[in-house]
Amino acid sequence: MSEDQDTPTTDHDYDGIREFDNPLPTWWLVTFFATIIFAFHYWIHYEFGGGMDQKAELSQDMAQIQQLQHNHPASLDTEEDLQKLAGSAEIISRGHDLFGAKCAVCHGPELQGVIGPNLTDEYWIHGQGRLTDIALIIRSGVPDKGMPNWESQLQNEEIRALTVFVASRKGSHPVNPKAPQGEKIAN
Amino acid sequence: MKAVNSLVEDIYYDDDIVKKFILATLVFAGVALAAGVMVALQLAFWPMNLNSEWLSFGRLRPLHTNAAIFAFAGNAIFAGIYHSSQRLLKARLFSDFLSRVHFWGWQAIIVAAAITLPLGYSHGKEYAELEWPIDIAITLIWVVFAVNFFGTLAKRREKHMYVALWFYIATIITVALLHVINSAEIPVSAFKSYPVYAGIQDAMVQWWYGHNAVAFFLTTPFLGLMYYYLPKAANRPVYSYRLSIIHFWALVFIYIWAGPHHLLYTSLPEWAQTLGMVFSIMLWAPSWGGMINGLLTLRGAWHLLRTDPIIKFFATAVTFYGMATFEGPLLSIKSVSSVGHYTDWIVGHVHGGTLGWNGFMIFGMLYYLVPRLWKTELYSVKLATAHFWTGFLGTIAYYLSMVVAGITQGLMWQAMTPDGRLMYPDFIETVTRILPLYWVRAFGGILYLAGFLLMVYNLYRTIKGAPVSVPEKVRVVNTRDVTAVETGHRGLEGAVTVFSVLTFLAVLVGSVIEIYPTLALHKYLPPSAQVEPYTPLELAGRDLYIREGCYLCHSQQIRPLASEVLRYGSPSTAEESMYDHPFQWGSKRTGPDLARVGKKYPDLWHYRHMLNPRVVTPQSIMPNYIWLATNDTDFLVLRKKFSVLKNMGTPYSDDQVANADIHAEKQAKEIAKSLEAQGGPSGLERKEIVAMIAYLQALGQKAKETPK
Ligand code: HEC
Ligand code: HEC
Repeated sequence: MSEDQDTPTTDHDYDGIREFDNPLPTWWLVTFFATIIFAFHYWIHYEFGGGMDQKAELSQDMAQIQQLQHNHPASLDTEEDLQKLAGSAEIISRGHDLFGAKCAVCHGPELQGVIGPNLTDEYWIHGQGRLTDIALIIRSGVPDKGMPNWESQLQNEEIRALTVFVASRKGSHPVNPKAPQGEKIAN
Repeated sequence: MKAVNSLVEDIYYDDDIVKKFILATLVFAGVALAAGVMVALQLAFWPMNLNSEWLSFGRLRPLHTNAAIFAFAGNAIFAGIYHSSQRLLKARLFSDFLSRVHFWGWQAIIVAAAITLPLGYSHGKEYAELEWPIDIAITLIWVVFAVNFFGTLAKRREKHMYVALWFYIATIITVALLHVINSAEIPVSAFKSYPVYAGIQDAMVQWWYGHNAVAFFLTTPFLGLMYYYLPKAANRPVYSYRLSIIHFWALVFIYIWAGPHHLLYTSLPEWAQTLGMVFSIMLWAPSWGGMINGLLTLRGAWHLLRTDPIIKFFATAVTFYGMATFEGPLLSIKSVSSVGHYTDWIVGHVHGGTLGWNGFMIFGMLYYLVPRLWKTELYSVKLATAHFWTGFLGTIAYYLSMVVAGITQGLMWQAMTPDGRLMYPDFIETVTRILPLYWVRAFGGILYLAGFLLMVYNLYRTIKGAPVSVPEKVRVVNTRDVTAVETGHRGLEGAVTVFSVLTFLAVLVGSVIEIYPTLALHKYLPPSAQVEPYTPLELAGRDLYIREGCYLCHSQQIRPLASEVLRYGSPSTAEESMYDHPFQWGSKRTGPDLARVGKKYPDLWHYRHMLNPRVVTPQSIMPNYIWLATNDTDFLVLRKKFSVLKNMGTPYSDDQVANADIHAEKQAKEIAKSLEAQGGPSGLERKEIVAMIAYLQALGQKAKETPK
């Protein structure tokens, strides 16, 4: 084989295996040195050169996010806005599905109450049972009492759909309702 | 080189031990691959967990990884090392007796692992799950292997060690070091122990071990095998001796530092993370040195690629090695890690290496060895070629599906709406999105397994058709005592002890510099840190969490990234895990992070969720843990557990130790009562589920002041 003649070779022979002694490929050496130089720079930049640490980077990002959230409050929905949605069968059915997936485990599939209170009766622990009240409690939850905060887990649209769905079941008298909790709200 | 006292001798190689290890490789490869297909199916289709305590994902997954690494790759490595070393050293193995002890001891360890892992005896440290009696057995057998190997080196008839042997030496020394340091643990009972390290220490030691298990169990021995079998099969000289020297030392020295790239953005001190990242980047070229030397050795033999399945397997294996060792440094870059970590991208990366590199090297080696050892022809070259293509397609399907799944999910976790909120706040949505890819992955695994079965059949027919083999005399020339004056590396290649000591020092430097400082844990905690250790019932629950392998699907480490803070709460701190023996930060989020899940839900929610996650999250892929509601908690052992932890520095009072069981029973009654009050069943106070709930509710609640 012709190429063998110009490649530098060694006299090594191990169980029939011979070894050439080709020079290191230049591109390989360049890569190796480049990574070493990069590594030193990176190390010095972050350890001694005042490169931003993870905490600092996080607080910068969080400040930006808070600004964004501040500029776009979660919901400016008024009672009227929500009322407009309350007639839509499509939205109510969306809310129904979501309720089955997220809420039924605590409030029961018929909203009759299990861990959480019955949501169909006239008694409310929080607020007056208005649409905005329901939306608010779904959003912020009562973490100490076992009602999760859903704002971080659901989209605005989803919270709206849940709100109108819950309101639509008022007075539906499910079987085996949980005993009333909170205050009776006359309306 | 001229041998002065050249001596001709007739000797016998011990090929019987090589055959034994080959057969063991075939048996356990089947187990490892079948277990892999099973866990892949469990993720695609949760009912495959079969509602079985012994076969649920968290218990089978360690069985899969341990079988793949230590049984499949392990037996293959021993076969290849014992076969090639005898020939490279022109000497029969040091001791037939030690060879057999090594073989049967190792198989006993594997069987012990296959029994204890499904039973839930586990350390909770990835790739080091086996409990302390087995850890001791591994150490002993490894010493037997070392004595046998170095003994053979001592009686060699060849003056110099060929590059393959350098890699074997590095393997034997470093694996011993890794295993002994990482397995330091204090027994509580026959099959339960706690690691001596806690929190960030344990994390540092574990990933120093985990990463270098990949380096020194799945890389260096395979490079050694490549250096022997590839030039042999291609009948071509090795491309560059010089490159061998440079890439060997660079690889051994640099690899050992890279462990912390598994812990980027965790509460590990940042200097250690940065070291892990920069050394990973520097590792790229040394790794590619091995690939270049392998591929360029095939110059002049490329025509064999079309006809010879062995060359197909080797060339493809080396190419996968090159891909994986490029992807590794890439994934170590912090910003890439922030997307890829905890996702299936890492799983894809690993399998590119294991299926493509380790698996294909082994298959090529077996097709080379079996006909030669049994002195016959391969039964069917066509079948071997079919094996190659099925295995190749399987690997590609596996790799691509997981990379796409990982990047998709990683980006979904981070995606934000323009008004500063998470785009996919509901975790399960990011799971259902990639479920189809889990099916593709399982399909890839099945293909790979099918290819393997073709090989088993092919080799079975080969061996069956072979003549009765009698050991064959080999004529060797003793060239050990040459008088040439040698300098530099060539001299080193004739000096086993010096070479081994230098190798040891090369891996020691990085190990000491990274691990030693974290042993002084307190330096890294704010002086105001006040963390309450677990109550006895919570500890019992924690041990269940470890037993069930929850850490294989859940992390407990919130990274300081905005999207994580929005999803899970403030970043995890070093003090929060300071009493965690072992740490349970996890490395994969098939389910959400649990670091702050405590108090998020009422007790009854957890009760229902643990028994059937679908009740709460209809699309969940988490297994049912029904046996937690029927098994009783072992309260009495808690005293012993507390006293072991107290001895290791957890601040428990004497009363807490002496009455651990009483305190636990008291807390269990309270939780059982609250479950009943919320509408759950009664009479749960002695059941394991109550301990598990106690633990889950304690997560993120132990630091006096939840960090902001
Ligand atoms: C983990 C259990 C749990 C889940 C899941 C849950 N809730 Fe609740 N919910 C509660 C509890 C407990 C309360 C009572 C809080 C209190 O006592 O202050 C409550 C209260 C409420 C209230 C106020 C009731 C009142 O009387 O003021 C509403 C409305 C409500 N939940 C709606 C929902 C909706 C909608 C979902 C699904 C998105 C949901 N909940 C999911 C446990 C839960
Ligand atoms: C096969 C992977 C897998 C295993 C194993 C697994 N989980 Fe899960 N887990 C999930 C997934 C997916 C979710 C999200 C869907 C859900 O709520 O079920 C989840 C959710 C959870 C949650 C709810 C988290 C939250 O914030 O809503 C808890 C708590 C939990 N798992 C505990 C455990 C425990 C304890 C174990 C071990 C006994 C375990 N998991 C084992 C996949 C797994």
